[in-house]
Parts: sequence; structure tokens; C-alpha cells
Amino acid sequence: QSKITWRMQTYAGAALAAEVIDPAIKMFNTIAGDRMQIELFYADQLVPTGELFQALQRGTIDAVQSDDDSMASPTEVTVFGGYFPFGSRYSLDVPVLFNQYGLNEIWDEEYSKVGVKHISAGAWDPCHFATKDPIRSLADLNGKRIFTFPTAGRFLTQFGVVPVNLPWEDIEVAVQTGELDGIAWSGITEDYTVGWADVTNYFLTNNISGAWAGSFFANMDRWNELPEDLQTLFRVCCDQSHYYRQWWYWGGEANLRVNGTKLELTTIPDEEWATVETAAQVFWEEIAAESETKRRVVDIFKKYNADMVKAGRPYRYT
Amino acid sequence: MHGYIRIVDAVNLRVGRVMMYGIFALMAILLWSSISKAFFVPSLWTLEMAQFVMVAYYILGGPYSVQLGSNVRMDLFYGDWSPKKKAWFDLFTICLLIFYLCVLLYGAVSSTAYSLGYWGSEPFSYLGGLVTGAEELGRLERSSTAWRPYLWPIKAVIVLGMFLMLLQCISEFFKDYLRIKGEAI
Amino acid sequence: MSYELIAILMFSSMMLMLLTGQRVFGAIGFIAVVAALLLWGDRGGFDIGFSAAMKLMKWYPLLTLPMFIFMGYVLSESKIADDLYRMFHVWMGGLRGGLAIGTIGLMVLISAMNGLSVAGMAIGSTIALPELLKRGYDKRMVTGVIQAGSSLGILVPPSVVLVLYAMIARQPVGQLWLAGVLPGLMMAGLFIVYIVVRCWINPVLGPVLPAEERNIPRAEKLRLLRAGLLPIVIFATMMVPFVNGWTSLVESSAIGALAAFVAAVLKGRMTREVFENSVRNTLGITCMFMWIILAALAFGAVFDGLGAVKAIESVFTERLNLSPWMILILMQLSFILMGTFLDDTAMLVIVAPLYVPLVGALGFDLIWYGILYTITTQIAYMTPPFGYNLFLMRAMAPPEISIRDIYASITPFVMIMVLALVLVMIFPGIATWLPDYVYNKQ
Ligand code: NA
Ligand code: NA
Repeated sequence: QSKITWRMQTYAGAALAAEVIDPAIKMFNTIAGDRMQIELFYADQLVPTGELFQALQRGTIDAVQSDDDSMASPTEVTVFGGYFPFGSRYSLDVPVLFNQYGLNEIWDEEYSKVGVKHISAGAWDPCHFATKDPIRSLADLNGKRIFTFPTAGRFLTQFGVVPVNLPWEDIEVAVQTGELDGIAWSGITEDYTVGWADVTNYFLTNNISGAWAGSFFANMDRWNELPEDLQTLFRVCCDQSHYYRQWWYWGGEANLRVNGTKLELTTIPDEEWATVETAAQVFWEEIAAESETKRRVVDIFKKYNADMVKAGRPYRYT
Repeated sequence: MHGYIRIVDAVNLRVGRVMMYGIFALMAILLWSSISKAFFVPSLWTLEMAQFVMVAYYILGGPYSVQLGSNVRMDLFYGDWSPKKKAWFDLFTICLLIFYLCVLLYGAVSSTAYSLGYWGSEPFSYLGGLVTGAEELGRLERSSTAWRPYLWPIKAVIVLGMFLMLLQCISEFFKDYLRIKGEAI
Repeated sequence: MSYELIAILMFSSMMLMLLTGQRVFGAIGFIAVVAALLLWGDRGGFDIGFSAAMKLMKWYPLLTLPMFIFMGYVLSESKIADDLYRMFHVWMGGLRGGLAIGTIGLMVLISAMNGLSVAGMAIGSTIALPELLKRGYDKRMVTGVIQAGSSLGILVPPSVVLVLYAMIARQPVGQLWLAGVLPGLMMAGLFIVYIVVRCWINPVLGPVLPAEERNIPRAEKLRLLRAGLLPIVIFATMMVPFVNGWTSLVESSAIGALAAFVAAVLKGRMTREVFENSVRNTLGITCMFMWIILAALAFGAVFDGLGAVKAIESVFTERLNLSPWMILILMQLSFILMGTFLDDTAMLVIVAPLYVPLVGALGFDLIWYGILYTITTQIAYMTPPFGYNLFLMRAMAPPEISIRDIYASITPFVMIMVLALVLVMIFPGIATWLPDYVYNKQ
């Protein structure tokens, strides 16, 4: 039997991918050996991120690591990928929502409709602002050109933020050439890892989401062609990648807030930030009104948050 | 053959002459961008709009630039050849260029079909079906920016531009053929 | 077949296609899509060509391309540089080789107003060249002066070549441009030293302007100095808002294009013909660049998909076991070699993605390397058989200048450029001091 070769593209650039995906793929290739090899490509390397979904659907690439939002997948759940505003507080919320609250089933349905296999979802880091000028109140957000996720950007426009979408690899340069005033795309770990901390000066500790939600996907035909043990191996390696990010980000965020020297921390007071959280509830309703599936997902988010509040500490402190 | 050359060249000349002034549209958008940024709230749409204009500018202007002879060639040997020898070589190599354009065009058509909500593998028959009413529009693809423009218009522009480029290169092929036969063009 | 072999096959068949004289974009694009189809068939072979178009659309710094090209054409077509030339003519004419030195000065100022070398070539060969020949200057020396001087257009900011490099190396354009300032001035200085020395040894090469031509009233002489203000104003309207962060790179380029256009209108030089030529040539040259980059991006994606970058890296570092500096020097040599017969855009888009990551991995500063890269490109512009300045010179030179003269004229200047390259390699501060100074004070 000949060796199976997959081409996989991640939406992360090389610097970040070295942490969040390279180890898992290396592991897969070592174990699968002569039976199967995955060639990994970074952000925009083979196809631009905007074309990623089509490429996956058609089999230009066989597998993808991305969030639904960035790759603009033509499904009803797209807006919930990446940073759905205030959708989660901790990175453990994401796997719980998917595995225990029914999101897996909805995602599976939605992606099967468009010929793509949804393998599993995992959490990355929270979404914070890193900017050239300090943000100490909501008024400071006004008129800032910020690189952020599509849905988060849509939400933030009501506070005067001007969302800008550029290829991931160009962000550092775009901050320096003045195309951007800042970034709301990651936590502080990534700001340091990918070099954004070198071009910005301030880090806002308030976040608009506690964890990025993204997934592994595969072209449906390619997936079905795999023997069962390789499917299992692929799932295991995806889980390994999810697990790695859980501790890498959680520890990294705290460490760099305490010991990092490149970014000065600023905070918007809780009372003022509460208006953003309230606005998010309105935004959720807007989204839910768009379709039946979106309503189902929003309801799950609501149920989950209500449960967490009832559970009390350490799940929720307010 | 003469008729084809005349018509294609004339159409592409007109299109190119119009696109030529796209430089001012581009300039205006970028200037508005700097003005709005300096005095008001920065605009959401300027950078992306400028990108669309740029695409239209160089894709639709492409055939005219071929007519103008702006596309560089490596003339290490080519430069010293006689017009007839040049035409002979071009006759063959332009077929390869035409092949490249066909692949580009195919990609552009299938991406346009995608942007209109078609996910199958027969983009040409789908687009044909749209015209005859046999197919329906699906989910329209939007750009993943806060401005969220629909993407089919710019993709349609690319399809048109690449198609015109293909016609222009076929016209160049005919011209080479006529040159070899020693006919006036 | 191993991936290395496929990569070599792709590269050599592309070179072969280029040699047939077909349009560069066609040669590169054809190899790219054929390789994609052979490798990936219907599983992606058809998409690579087109997805390059979408990738290209998102490369926002390329929006500056038509702006800087337009600026250059407005400057050269409208002849607003004539006054500048008269200024240098009158002020420098009294020296041996003074007019040639003045031409270098002229080229530096023109370089500060446009991003390519075309404008400098056009102005140099239409205004300066006939005058220099009439005054008995050595034809080989002055042809070289104009070709070399105009190539400063891509080193002195604004520079289109550095914008393209910035895209590939993912480095900030602002710092790259600033890094080009001192090396550009240094190179101009070396050209001048060369002219002075040669004319001092052999005064026949650059005779002093007759006294009656220099004898014009002091007031008139001072009035001519005002011509030097124009480039400074255009340069400042573009660079000051940019460096201060008031406008972005692409916005600044539009401001620069507008400034050049307004200057030409105010000086009454924007005739219908000038307008037509500038607008039409801008379209032609922009299309040429964009279609080549479109094809080269597809080529690069396939090349990348093969892991060719990693293969080259391992050949250099593991198999040949070379030190970083040895690798760097080898790369520059191969760049110069390729530059003699490859178009600079093709060179940048195909070769740079292989080399730049390697340069970064070896621990070199990519801003500094951008300058080394640009100087190499300048050399490529002038060296036969393929070079833009060479072509333009051939097209614009008067009949008494033969191809043999043109080829002979560049030799000393290429040597000076290699010297500049070596100096910047040994003393990286020449490139990095200014950007460090400007960006670190913030
Ligand atoms: Na310049
Ligand atoms: Na050359």
C-alpha cells in the first residue's frame, strides 16, 4: 500500500505554529511513519486565509486548523468560532461547551452539509487589546484601527473601533507602517511570541472573550478514505494539540503579565467595562434572531453561563 | 482572423483606456482615507475598496498593456533574432501562456461560482444555469471584514479580465501566424 | 521523484522558458500551473494560479506601486526637472568633471521623488546626456554616470524595490527606507570621488565649462537654487506625515503622487500629451509588475509546497557545513549572477522567499539585508544581458553611443557598487544607524 500524504494548512504563522501545531504534527508523522505523512503549511502559505474553506472543500488542501470565523466557512455557526464576544470566560469553557453542552453535534451537522469533516474544537488564548497608545477608558477605543476577528470586529464597532482585516503575517509591519493602531487578536503570550509586543506599548487586561474557539477540519472524502486507526491517531494528535495549548496559554498569560517587560498593563474599571458586557448580551440576541441554528447555539451559551453562575466559585466570582 | 484581431484589439483598447484612469480613483480613495483619518473617524471601507480598484486596474488593464508591449521579455537571445524568428518562437510559447491563462480563468470561474453559493465541481454549468434560470443563487460569500462587502463583484471582474487577457493573447497568436506568412496586420 | 529534483526541474524549465523570449509572466505562470497540475492534479492543481490573485489583492503595500510609478512619469514627462538640471549646470560647471558631478546630484534629488530608476534614466538621458556630450564629456563616462546615478532611485527612499522586499521579508517599510538613505548618499559620494579622480588624472574626460557660460549674475544664480526646493517639498509632503505616523504608507504614496501632479500643473507643464503619457505608461508598467508577481506567487506557492526552502537550507547548513558569513556571501554572489540575466521582480519574488528566511535563521538583521539586496538589484539593472537601465539606455541614447560603449561604460560603476556592497556588509551601521535612531527615540 502506498503512503498517504496530506497537506494541512494552519491559520497561524510560522512563529506561533512552532508552539501550537508543529509538535502535534511531528508526533503524528513519527507514529504514522511510512503509512501516512502530513505536510504542514502556515498562514497564507498555500492559499490565502480567505480562500481556505473553498480549498478544503475542493481538496486543494486536505486538512485545516482554523477558527470558523477567520476562514469564513459558509455555515450557520461561523460567527461563534474565534472570539464570540463574552462567549467564554476560561479556556476550559470551550471543550466543556463542545463535549458536554452539545456544540459538537451542531458543528458536525453544519459541516457535513457543506462536505467538510469537523474533527474537534479546542481553546486557545483570551482576546485582549495590544495597542500603541494606552486604553484606560472606553473613550480611548474610539477611532482606533484594530486588527481583529470579523465577528469581534462587528461587535466592537459600536465603541468606535475600526476593525481592519489583513493577512496575519503582515500585522507587525502594518502596525509600523501606520495601517493599524493596535491588535485585538490574542492574549499576551502571542503578543510576545509573534513579535507584536515589539511594535505595541500597552496591553489592556480586560478581555472580550476568555478563549478563542477553533477546530481541526478535514476534506470529507479524504477523511473517509483513511483507515480507522489513522483516523483515531489523527484525533489523538488533535487532542494533544488542544491539551498543549491549554497549559501553554494559561501559564503564559500569567507569567508575562507578571514578568513581561515589553508591554505596560492598563485596565478599564469594572463598572465601565460592564457596559461592554451588557452590549454583548444585546449582540447575542441580534445573532440569535438571524437563524434557527444560531438561536440553538446562543441558547446553549446562555444555559452554560447560567449554570456556571449557579455553581459559584471557582467557576464564577461575580 | 483579421476580423478577430480587429475586434478583440479594439475592445481591449477601449477597456484599457478606461481602466487607465483608475489610477485617479485609487488616488482619491487613499487621499480620502488619509483625510478621514486625520479629521474624522477612519473609514471602514477605504483600504479594501482600494484593493478592489487595484485588482480591476491591473487585471482589466492587462490586455491593453500587452498591446502596448509593456510586458518584459528576457532578450538575451530574443533581442537579436529577426522578426520572423521571433514570431516562430512566439507562436509556440504563446500557447503555453494561453494554457496558463486558461488555468487561471478556470480557477477564477470556480471561485466566482463559490462566491455565489455553489459548492459543486461544475462551476461552468452552474453559472450557465444561473443565466437560464436552471440554478439558483446560494449563500453569497462576503469578505471577512467589518465592512463585509460581497465578493462576487470583484471575482466577476477578475473572470472578465482574465477572459479578455485570453482573447488578447489569442489575438497575439494570430498576429504571429500572420507575421510568419508575411501578411500585413 | 524526490522533491529536490522536482524543484530543480521547475527552476531550470522556467529559465529555459525565459530564454525563449516569451513574456516573463507567461513563462513563470506556465511552469507554476503545470507543476501544480502534475503534482496535485485536480486536488488543487487548478486553484493555485487563481488563489495567487486573491493573495495579491490582500498585499496592501502594493497599492503604492502605481503611485510611485505615476510620480516618476509625471516628473520625467513634464520636464519639471529641467530647472534642477540648470541649477547643477551653473553651480558645478566650473569644476573638472563638474557637470558629471552635478548629474549625480540631480539623480539623488530625483531619486528622492520617485520609487524606480525609470524617471532618473529618462531625465538623465533626455536632458543631461545631450548637454554633456555637447560639452565634450567622455561618452563612456557619462553613459555610466546616468545609468548608475538613476539606479539610486531604488535605494534612496521612496523605493518600490524595498516595498516589495518588505512584503517578502515581513519587515517594516519605513525602517527599510530610512536604512537606504545613508548607503544611497555614500554610493553617490563614491561616484563623485570616482569622477573627480578620473577627471583630475585626465582632464579631457570632463572639461571645465567655458567662462562665458558660467558668467551669469549672482542673483540669477541664487534664483536657480530655488529649483532645488521642489524635490525637497515633494519629498517632505510625503515622508513627514508618514514618519510621524499621521498617514499610513499607502496613503503617503497617494499624497506623493498628488504632490508631483500638482507641482507639474502649477509649473504649467501638465500638457495633454504629458498627462496621456504619464497615465498610460503607469498602467503599462503597473500591469507588467502585477502580472509577473501574480505568476511568481503561484510559482512560489508550488515551490514552497515542495519544501524547497527547507531543502536549500539543509544543503547550505548541513551538507556543505558553511559558516553564516560564507553562506551570505555565496547568496550575494548567486544573486548578482542571477541578476545579470533575470528580471528583478522575478528575482525578488522567486529567489528571495528562499533566501530571506535563511538569512533570518542565520541571525542576520533583515533590514540590513534589505539594503544589500537592493544594491545587488541596482547592479542587476546595469549588467548585460538583462537590465532595465541597460534597455532604457539603449532605447534613449543618441546614435553616436554604441552598444559597446554602453557595456563598457558600466564596468567602473558596477565595481563601485560592489565596493559599496562590501562596505555595508563590513559596517552594517551605514544602513542600520538611521532607522535605529529615528525609531528608537519614540
Ligand atoms: Na527613490
Ligand atoms: Na542585469
